[in-house]
This record gives sequence, structure tokens and C-alpha cells, in this order.
Amino acid sequence: MIEVEALTKRYGSTTAVDGLTFTARPGTVTGFLGPNGAGKSTTMRVVVGLERPTSGSTKVAGQRYADLPAPLHAVGVMLDARSVHPGRTAYKHLLAMAQTHGIGKARVREVIAQTGLESVATRRAGTFSLGMGQRLGIAGALLGDPATLILDEPVNGLDPDGVLWIRRLVRDLAAEGRTVLLSSHLMHELALCADRVVIIGRGRLLADATVHEIVARSERAGAVRVRTTDPEPLARELIATGAQVAPQEGGVLQVRGASVDDVGTVARRCGVTVLELSAESGTLEEAYLQLTGDAVEYRAAGTQGGAR
Amino acid sequence: MSVTSTTPGTARAAAATRSGPTFVRLLAAEWTKLTSLRSPWWVAGVTVAVAAAITYLSAQASSGDPGFQPFDSLSSGLVLAQVGPLVLGVLAGAGEYRTGAFRTTFTLVPRRWPVLAAQTLVVAAFALGLGVLATVACVLGVLPAAASRDIPLDLTAGETPAVLLAMTLFVVGLALLGFALGVILRRTVPAMVTALVVVLLLPVMLTLAGEMASEPADPASFSSTGEGPGPITVPGMLLTFSPGGAAQEMTVPASYQPVAGSPDMSPLGGGLVLGGWVLVLLAATGVRLRTRDVR
Repeated sequence: MIEVEALTKRYGSTTAVDGLTFTARPGTVTGFLGPNGAGKSTTMRVVVGLERPTSGSTKVAGQRYADLPAPLHAVGVMLDARSVHPGRTAYKHLLAMAQTHGIGKARVREVIAQTGLESVATRRAGTFSLGMGQRLGIAGALLGDPATLILDEPVNGLDPDGVLWIRRLVRDLAAEGRTVLLSSHLMHELALCADRVVIIGRGRLLADATVHEIVARSERAGAVRVRTTDPEPLARELIATGAQVAPQEGGVLQVRGASVDDVGTVARRCGVTVLELSAESGTLEEAYLQLTGDAVEYRAAGTQGGAR
Repeated sequence: MSVTSTTPGTARAAAATRSGPTFVRLLAAEWTKLTSLRSPWWVAGVTVAVAAAITYLSAQASSGDPGFQPFDSLSSGLVLAQVGPLVLGVLAGAGEYRTGAFRTTFTLVPRRWPVLAAQTLVVAAFALGLGVLATVACVLGVLPAAASRDIPLDLTAGETPAVLLAMTLFVVGLALLGFALGVILRRTVPAMVTALVVVLLLPVMLTLAGEMASEPADPASFSSTGEGPGPITVPGMLLTFSPGGAAQEMTVPASYQPVAGSPDMSPLGGGLVLGGWVLVLLAATGVRLRTRDVR
């Protein structure tokens, strides 16, 4: 269980996190989503006690992180890959972590096997690819068999095989009743493994809902797409029935306020040939982009002038 | 790559001992961390080799002098080899911060300062081993020159045991000074430069300044002091109480005259001054770790 309550974190005049409140519950995978620079990593660093909140509070397992008697057993933490000394082998890195909590070598070997690092365990972490570094970070998070896991961008840099592995791993961990909070700036990653999604932009909460609820918020959700040889009479007729119509390229109309059945009936009535007719469903990606559209900190140069 | 999921059986096995960090555990972890890097071993090897080589060359060079005393050459190798423990300490102190490994360390031990204490002890222990080896290397370096003049080197006579002990502790003290500079500056290069300036450059400059200041400008005062140590000067005081000057004081036999313008300080006094500097820097680091974010 992770509770973030009215968390604000400022660095000088910059506000990284602004009054953020959310809860990650046991048995669920909570996706923590936001554009780069939205405050995800800052929030996570505050939750694990590396930084102090300017105001507000965070709790893990009902306690302040700094008050946990055995942090490694309570919370598995994987922050960015640069949390490992590059000159140390994977095995020694994990062993030193384990020794702080009196965890034996057998458990170290176990997490090495579990994360598929056996063949590289005696290599120095500095020689690792991004993907192997992520696996090492996850191995460290699993070491204490914690009830809560905090993973910052775990999918970043993994090969497709590794991505599948992470999805299965976090699902299994949640199924065992653990709390999993994992951040990403890629919506579709979370769509496939998160139960709930907390979306932030510029440090503020934009949405805290299930994946389904967020998809339903997409502008496209509930609309009907119809392609016809003769869009104009159909559009007039549809508007007459009270629907809203947005004409698009290639003879396509996007219709709201009418079902697929309604649109088909109207099309037959005004005698146009229907080439394509379907109910549109929004994607999580679209919902996310719409939510964060105003909150993107950095834009590609080409779109800078057109920032909404 | 093979993929397995958590098995409830192993989860329970780990759950059997769910206690947190203790100081002994932190010592074990920090020892693993220090000794699992390559740099401490490299630095230690080079330090011992340089100590032996310089001592050997220095003793050989002065063995032709009529008044050659092998004992005087004993600590000559450390003049250059002292860079070794400094580098060792700086790398151990700044390494965590330079690489970001401190994030892992401090999430495991949110109280933070026990980690600093454990690291300090581990660096001291490693440096103690290095100090013993470097001192042995210095003794071995003197032997050929002593043998060539048929002067027996009695390690138990006079001030020799005290100097040997002081040489060993000198290595420990410099490693801790490097470590303290490393943890407070958090970056390798600034910490290294500071350490070298403080330990190598500053004492030379202060010695020269001290000699200039204590030159008998007033003949009357010169005659009144006679052969005794000259008046104590500001550069002399600074030298004695600077970390570098204090460190050098450690390896100078107690019976030797102090540098011009400096108060007479025993090796023990030098060691205490150096230890004081290390404690002040570590205390400042401890306070900062307690009260500030680590990013």
C-alpha cells in the first residue's frame, strides 16, 4: 500500500510535484503515467525517502518510509538504472544490498535466476546493456520479498522478450497480493498490465481511474465512423436527426449522438452507398494524449508554436 | 533467457528473517562494496610498489654519505606514496555519489548516517592493511642500502617502532582525509584536486612562507633565541594545524626539530590534528545527509 497525500515538492522556484494525492493498493498494478518531467520520478524519490516533501506526506505500508524497520523487506525499489556502481559485478551489487538486511547468498542467487541474469552475474554492471541494467534493478527490488514494489520505468530499454517478462512479472506479483506501482511515459505499456492508472502532468493529478474508465474518456470513444461515396447529404440528414457530425478526409464522417444502427438506417433513407461503418473505440494512448496535451513540458521543435 | 516467476515457497523462506539494517550488517555490506571494486586493489598495489621503489632509491642515493643512517630513509618512500591512500579515500568517498549508487544505499538505510560511519570504518580498515604493507615495503626498500654499508637495521631500537607505527597510521589518516573530502564534495575530480592541494602543495608553500617569515630580520631577537627553535610565525601555525602539515608531522620522529616558525608537535599531536580535520569533515557530511535531500 502506497499513500501519497497532498504531496508538493519544490526546488527553488520550480514546482516538480503540486498537491498530488493518490493511493496504490495491494493486489493491483498501479500505473504511474505522465510525460517526461511530469514529476513521476520526483514523487517516487520522495516516497522512498531520498527527498523530503515540501508539504504533504507519503506513506508505505502505513508508515513513513524512513520509519520502516526493514525497508528492503517492506518495499522493493527500482529507480533509474544509474543506481548501481558500474565497477561492481551484478552479484556483488546484490550481495551488498542483501547484507544490509542480513539476507543470505542463496536468496541473491535466487533473484539472479528469477531475473535471468545468471550468465552475466559476474560481469561488471558498467558493461550491461540498458535491458540487463533494468533486470538488475528488478532483481534488487525483489531481493527482500517485499509486499510493495516501486518500479521507475522498468520497461525502458527492454527487448520485446523482456517487455513480456515484465508484464507477466508485475501481474504475478499483484496476483500474490502485493502492491505494485510502476511508472512509464508510454501509455500502451501500462494499458497491457496496469489495473489502475494515475496520470500526472506538470506535477498535478490529471486522472486516477481504471484503464477502462480512461479509455471511455477519449474523444473518439462512443463515436461512429462512416465512409460513403456521398458524405454531404448523409451529414445533413444525420444532423437533422440530432447527431453531431464531423466530416473528415476521404468521405469519412465521425458521428456522435447516433448508434451504428441509426447511421445505417439514415444512410439507406437518403440513398447513399455506405463503404464502411463502424463504432469507434478510443485508445488509452489517445485518452492519455488528450489529458496530457496541456501538460507536456517539452515538445518537439516543430510543434512548439502550436502548443495547445 | 529463462523466465520464472516468484514462487511462494521461496518468498516464505526469505520472510523468516525479516529484520532490518544493523551496524554489523552495514559493515559487512560496505566491506563487500569496497573490496568488489577494482580501484582499491590497484591503488593499494601501486602504493606499496611506489613506497618500496622510492625508499630503495632514496636509501641507495644517500648510502654513500658518510653519516648514512638507514633509519632516516625509512619514511622517504611515503612522500610520494601518500598519494595512494588519498586516491583510495577519494574514490571510496565520492564513488557512491559520482555513480548514483547512493540512491540504492540510502533507500536501504534511510537513516543514512550509519552508512557513513560504516564506510568510514571500512575505509580505515582497508587503509590499515595498506599501511602495514606500505611500511613493510619501506623497510624492505631500506635493507639493500643498509646491507651494503653493513649497518644493521634494528626495528626495535630507539624511535624506530614509533616511526613504523606512525607511518602505518599516516596511511590510514590520509585515506580517511581523502574519504572525508570525497563524501563532502561528492565528485571525484574536485575532491582529488582538493586533497592534493591540501596535502602536497599547501605544506610546501607554508614551509617556504614560514622560512621567509622566520628569517632573522631583527638581529637582537635572533641572538636571544640562540640555537633553539625560532619564534612561531603565522605560516608556521597554519602549517602545523593544516591537515597536510599535520599528516607530515606524524612521520617525523619526535626528537627532530620542527619546521621553521612552527610549534613543536609530536607525531601523536600531528595525528590528532589530522584526526580532528577528518572528524569535522565527516560530522559536516553527517549533518548534511540528515538534513538535506540526496539527489
